[in-house]
Amino acid sequence: MVLVLALGDLHIPHRAPDLPAKFKSMLVPGKIQHIICTGNLCIKEIHDYLKSLCPDLHITRGEYDEDARYPETKTVTIGQFKLGLCHGHQVVPWGDLDSLAMLQRQLDVDILVTGHTHQFKAYKHEGGVVINPGSATGAYSSITYDVNPSFVLMDIDGLRVVVYVYELIDGEVKVDKIDFKKTATMHG
Amino acid sequence: MRKKVKAVPEWLNSPIWSTPPPATAPADPFGTDFSRPLAPPPEPPPSVPPPPTYEQAVGSYAGRERETREEEGAGAALRAHLLADFKSALSKKTVNMGELRRLACLGVPDGGNDIRPLVWKLLLGYLPTERSLWPYELEKKRSQYSAYKDEFLLNPSEKLRRIEESKLSRKKELNGEKHGLLPRLEVTNEEHPLSSGKSSLWNKYFQESEILEQIDRDVKRTHPDISFFSAKSNQESLRRILIIYSRLNPSVRYVQGMNEVLAPLFYVLSNDPDESNSASAEADTFFCFVELISGFKNNYCKHLDNSRVGIRSTLSKLSQLLKKHDEELWRHMEVITKVFPQYYAFRWITLLLTMEFSFNVCIHIWDAILGDPEGPPDTLLRICCAMLILVRKRLLVGDFTANIQLLQHYPQTNIDHLLHIANRLRGTVAS
Repeated sequence: MVLVLALGDLHIPHRAPDLPAKFKSMLVPGKIQHIICTGNLCIKEIHDYLKSLCPDLHITRGEYDEDARYPETKTVTIGQFKLGLCHGHQVVPWGDLDSLAMLQRQLDVDILVTGHTHQFKAYKHEGGVVINPGSATGAYSSITYDVNPSFVLMDIDGLRVVVYVYELIDGEVKVDKIDFKKTATMHG
Repeated sequence: MRKKVKAVPEWLNSPIWSTPPPATAPADPFGTDFSRPLAPPPEPPPSVPPPPTYEQAVGSYAGRERETREEEGAGAALRAHLLADFKSALSKKTVNMGELRRLACLGVPDGGNDIRPLVWKLLLGYLPTERSLWPYELEKKRSQYSAYKDEFLLNPSEKLRRIEESKLSRKKELNGEKHGLLPRLEVTNEEHPLSSGKSSLWNKYFQESEILEQIDRDVKRTHPDISFFSAKSNQESLRRILIIYSRLNPSVRYVQGMNEVLAPLFYVLSNDPDESNSASAEADTFFCFVELISGFKNNYCKHLDNSRVGIRSTLSKLSQLLKKHDEELWRHMEVITKVFPQYYAFRWITLLLTMEFSFNVCIHIWDAILGDPEGPPDTLLRICCAMLILVRKRLLVGDFTANIQLLQHYPQTNIDHLLHIANRLRGTVAS
């Protein structure tokens, strides 16, 4: 049972002052083993805050991040799964699932986590699964202003992953879950 | 008006407590009639070689090397006799508990390590006296333990997965579609990892993680000098037992030190030469542990600390016992040097003496603690009192520091003497 928090596109302080209070009250240290962040934090204070939730933090660079040292892509192996991380502004057309599938094959990972569109998505193709955790603050994106704050918590248990999707809709936290198993046919 | 101080009983001043045992020490302390007044100490040894003592029978403690070859031969014979007595008591169709307890208080002799698991299981009431019921009882208890393991040891991930798998009426193909958005299911009952819902499995799991960590730490440092406890599988067993106990007993949960009380039980039951028993040692130990701790439960409940039944009350019972039997020592300890039981006896009582003596010696003492008809709590108090009386000469000349030092690092001692004195204090604990 390994809990992995996936979030990104916070755009603090430029487009949002902070995470929603209801999200912040849920995110306490001690429960989560890994954090993967798609990028666009954008400042060091947010980096430190995430580090305080969990020491194992992975970040890739978004186009507005102040720290230029974050890598463009990153791969992490957690349990039986290989996860790939990339902000996504590099993949054109933005949010295009076929292009993202190409990136996934290139990184050779089971689960690709990307952001940039600020829209939650969980998509399966024969190369694996693509997850977009959306924007954790609900910041407006290059594409739309209509953004619900959202993030993702993955529970990796052997060959099975349960993806819990946390969204803030009309002031209330709504939680959904998505179940999938890794099989021999899946890449990786 | 000054109250007359009770004189120290004659037997306490006997030379046998500070010199090597003379061969004419009392032969059978357990069988004596306690309604008679205590007899004066025995005469100095006569020229004729005396009959072997029970110390020689259960042998192997300090002082053994002083025996002559003749006594050794006789001692070995007595040991064999005692072992035979045990085996005969255990092979009856209905075990006579009175007889077994009498023998247990003499101590399971050397070479009797293969009968000790059975003796302890009977003494703790895990096995009924009726021999024919044993297979049924064992089967029942062991499968109950399996059920406990399933219920209490799975993390929320595994539990939820099992619930879901049992709910699916037909096998749902999770990876059916090759392409497409993955279907979303709504989470019900706030059953998600970040939940703070009272009934959430996840929430409960995280709240208990502190206890789990404590148990983990303690199990890893139990008896690091004994290779049995370094084995990963044994550590896992201890861990599981303590976790299940803490879940079943929310009023006590886990208290540091329970691992020490568990250790001798698990060790003895795991070393059962009978394979079918040693394989199920974990399950058997669990129930024996529950039984043993039940007599001492109140000592571990924090909120009972200051009540009539908590640890403070137990410690004051020890004081009373000391005062009753050795007022001079009691006065010196508690009035003059202010060495109160909470400074030294707290560990004696909560850990059942596991840290005051070496592992093997401790197991021998537990034979008496478990075997005594008065029950473990009262027997333990009598033994603690006897520990004080045994070193009274040193305590009486010591100040606060010296006495605390002595009692917190109790010196190696002749266990037979200790149990003998504890015997003499019989029938006096109840306030």
